[in-house]
Amino acid sequence: MTDDVILQVKDLKAYFKLDEGLLKAVDGVSFDLRKGETLGIVGESGSGKSVTNLAIMKLIPTPPGRIAGGQVIFDGKDLIPMNDNEIRQIRGNKISMIFQDPMTSLNPFLRISTQMVETIVLHQGLDKKAAKEKAIEMLKLAGIPAPENRIDQYPHQFSGGMRQRVMIAMALSCNPEILIADEPTTALDVTIQAQILELINELSQRLGTAVILITHSLGVVAGMCDNICVMYAGRVVEKGSADEIFADPKHPYTVGLIKSVPRLDKENKQRLYSIPGQPPNVINLPECCPFFPRCDRAMDICKSKYPPVADLGNGRTVSCWLYGEGK
Amino acid sequence: MPISTKTKDNAVNEFNQYVKPVSLWADAWKRLRRNKMALMGMWIVGIYIFITFFAGLLPFFSYTDQELMHANLPPSFKPAGIVTLERLEMRKLELESAIAQTNREDLKTDLTRILLEAEQLKTEIDSNPVHKRVYILGTDSLGRDMLARTIYGGQISILIGLIGTLTAGLIGIVLGAMGGYFGGWFDNLLGRFVDIMYSLPYMLIVIIIMAMIETTNPTTKVFVLFIAIAMISWLTISRVVRGQVISIKNSEFVEAARSMGASSPRIIFRHLLPNTLTIIIVYSTLSFPSFIMNESFLSFLGLGVSAPMASWGTLVSDGVQSMQLYPWRLLVPGAAMTIFLFAMNFMGDGLRDALDPQSKNRT
Amino acid sequence: MTRFIVRRLLSTIPTLFVIITLSFFLIRMAPGGPFAREKKVPPEILQNLLKKYHMDEPLPQQYFRYLGDVLRFDLGPSFKYKDQTVNDLLGTTFPVSLTLGVMALAVATFLGVLVGIISALKQNKWQDYAAMSVAVLGISIPLFVVGPVLMLVFALILDWLPTSGWIGSRAGWATVVMPVMTLMLPPFAYIARMSRGSIIEVIRSDYVRTARAKGLKENVVITKHVLKGALLPVVTYLGPAFAGIVTGSVVVERIFDIPGIGKIFVQSAFNRDYTVIMGDVIVYSLILISANFIVDVLYGILDPRITYK
Repeated sequence: MTDDVILQVKDLKAYFKLDEGLLKAVDGVSFDLRKGETLGIVGESGSGKSVTNLAIMKLIPTPPGRIAGGQVIFDGKDLIPMNDNEIRQIRGNKISMIFQDPMTSLNPFLRISTQMVETIVLHQGLDKKAAKEKAIEMLKLAGIPAPENRIDQYPHQFSGGMRQRVMIAMALSCNPEILIADEPTTALDVTIQAQILELINELSQRLGTAVILITHSLGVVAGMCDNICVMYAGRVVEKGSADEIFADPKHPYTVGLIKSVPRLDKENKQRLYSIPGQPPNVINLPECCPFFPRCDRAMDICKSKYPPVADLGNGRTVSCWLYGEGK
Repeated sequence: MPISTKTKDNAVNEFNQYVKPVSLWADAWKRLRRNKMALMGMWIVGIYIFITFFAGLLPFFSYTDQELMHANLPPSFKPAGIVTLERLEMRKLELESAIAQTNREDLKTDLTRILLEAEQLKTEIDSNPVHKRVYILGTDSLGRDMLARTIYGGQISILIGLIGTLTAGLIGIVLGAMGGYFGGWFDNLLGRFVDIMYSLPYMLIVIIIMAMIETTNPTTKVFVLFIAIAMISWLTISRVVRGQVISIKNSEFVEAARSMGASSPRIIFRHLLPNTLTIIIVYSTLSFPSFIMNESFLSFLGLGVSAPMASWGTLVSDGVQSMQLYPWRLLVPGAAMTIFLFAMNFMGDGLRDALDPQSKNRT
Repeated sequence: MTRFIVRRLLSTIPTLFVIITLSFFLIRMAPGGPFAREKKVPPEILQNLLKKYHMDEPLPQQYFRYLGDVLRFDLGPSFKYKDQTVNDLLGTTFPVSLTLGVMALAVATFLGVLVGIISALKQNKWQDYAAMSVAVLGISIPLFVVGPVLMLVFALILDWLPTSGWIGSRAGWATVVMPVMTLMLPPFAYIARMSRGSIIEVIRSDYVRTARAKGLKENVVITKHVLKGALLPVVTYLGPAFAGIVTGSVVVERIFDIPGIGKIFVQSAFNRDYTVIMGDVIVYSLILISANFIVDVLYGILDPRITYK
């Protein structure tokens, strides 16, 4: 089962030292990513899902942030102890990223061609002319009309959706093994969102790229992902295959998330569910289950101790005192 | 983590975590307290202002008190009589060696004069209290205490800066707020006017005005100077206030006030201005040093404050004339002024970082 | 682009007109005249003098005559510097002031950007604190303190540099050093602070994160992706900076006894040398207007988001 795992994240920790205290943005996250798989990482804002992925690429701004522990094993090698030179061989080449806001993620002062060509030249060793042809080809794949004309334009001449297509083309231009998409549709119009997700899905399948899709929307995950990690306050609270989690969510938080997705197929006239309370501020969080104040099944033990990971078999795990040995 | 130590705030959530203070001022004060340079600046400015306003009550000499015998004394902690005597001795030795070499007659008369002066001084050095004075920062060409001169020069400079900032602030706030709030032709006119004023070589026009005033009354001159500088200083603050007002004008809470029938002045004074206060404070603090700079710039050129009044600018200007022989006369007022402006700028930067953390107007 | 330049040039005409009109009447409103301070002149001679300079005419007539002359690039004769026209006077002094100003601004920009970059890249390290303290000092210390202190130390005590004069004098280019160092200090300080701030802001921006995520080397990220966006605000500051330099040069030329416009400017204001003051004001305004114009065009060339119509 582990032979086709291409990325293994083990007990990853990323802390930020702020004036108010130590912010444990990511506190012991583990998951595996298999070849060609699409993994969804779901959580509210502030749950540490974006930081997890920046930590994988070692892109956390240091200071104030630092990777406080754990391993990220890619291609048999741990990325965390790598120096700048080594990690740069990975970035944009083996693992590439697209970000939430296409309006600000492209350099407004450089032509699209410049920004795409520099990556291709860097990682593929092509000359500028060949690199530009490759870039045009990628833009065409990403659904940009008349790419040979548009490639010499500046980002502000593109719409938001088009810019995200450019980002995708740029990210996939070096045939990476993993594409990390950090809320790629959040900043876009609803009508464009589906198109962009479809594009990511289609291109990753065609190129055999594994995708980590970070999102706060379970609806997005449902349509696209093979497996899901649910994060809360910097930790993974539940993970497993998408089908199983939707069919039988275990963690009360996951249950709440699924209940709060509006559904058209069910004939219930009830009010839409929402999880009560606010996500916690993870600075100086005491030792407890951070979800207990919002949990309708909270027990005394939840207030004093973080639950261990309960393995439910078949790659399904959950961290909650309702399951496993704590039960 | 014991909860009891934090009960004072009682702003603790279900995880026993602090809940951030919600007050803008508390938050700003927290930020400011961490900024060591800004705090130092505040202390220095505080000390200057204290000395400036209480100079009369503090044991300083008068800035008009002349003692020609003590002219151009270097800074020293020794009593003036002794310093003068030492200087005469020195001069005596110099002259004696010069006479030994050249035997010039004119030097001899100099020598006798100096010996006479020294004798005279020796007889009165213990009896005359004037010679007990200590000039820790030296004296000027008329034998006036540089420390007192610098303090009184600073009084004028700081006062001009203070009144100027207040006036400029008032004009700028009123016009800027009106322009931002009402918009339309008024705003257009104001904007055009500010643009033209910005593109004028304004200090040069002030130079012309100051050079052409035919008055010997120093107070009138300071008044004109002050009007001339204040005329341009409100520009920046009016722009900043206008921008801030426009951005707040369309916010929900102003909409709410308007929908409840609040009048325009009420909205401006109750809602818009309090929300621009931080920016006003920041820009006033930063424009204060530029006021002082402009005033002393003109005074240096001989166009500003004139004798018997003195500002830092005129003191530096006086000092430059004789800086080779008596460098302290340049360095003392120069340093006093620079330290104040330095502290003022650090304080202003600190206030801006604390009150307006997302400022786009950083320089 | 051409249309923008033409329109921008045309828009300077009203500004210039306002400046000329304002200064003309401001100067004439002041009591006293160019001949008031001379020794008692017999009335008939004074009458002749006034006639010669057309000062016997009513003010509006003088004003329109002056405007007409200015349109023909004739700034008239000087009242004090006998036998010299204002054109001659400015012809000899203007190149001196321009050289001084341009050199000061060039040095200020170069050093300011350099210090700003170093500070930003070493943010919150000792290099940063040192550089920013120097920058605040540069803003705080008045030119008329820096100039004399430099002169005291480097000319009078150490005797490394000449106290005064200009390139034409015996000391040659050595005369340039202290005036330029003095005059460049405030714009240097502003540019250093400004570029530091905007570099730090850009380094945190999303597009720089993208550049890093592409695996670019850090020095490529800085030179190619950070600097262009970060230094754009510095370009906009160059216009106002030039205004500061113009004002500052009045003091610096006086301190170092440099034969530039600034030196004759204050003198002619005292002397009521109407035509020279007017000429000075016009030249200074032209400098400022062209500086702002160049900055606008430069900005348009550098920022692709701006299109001229």
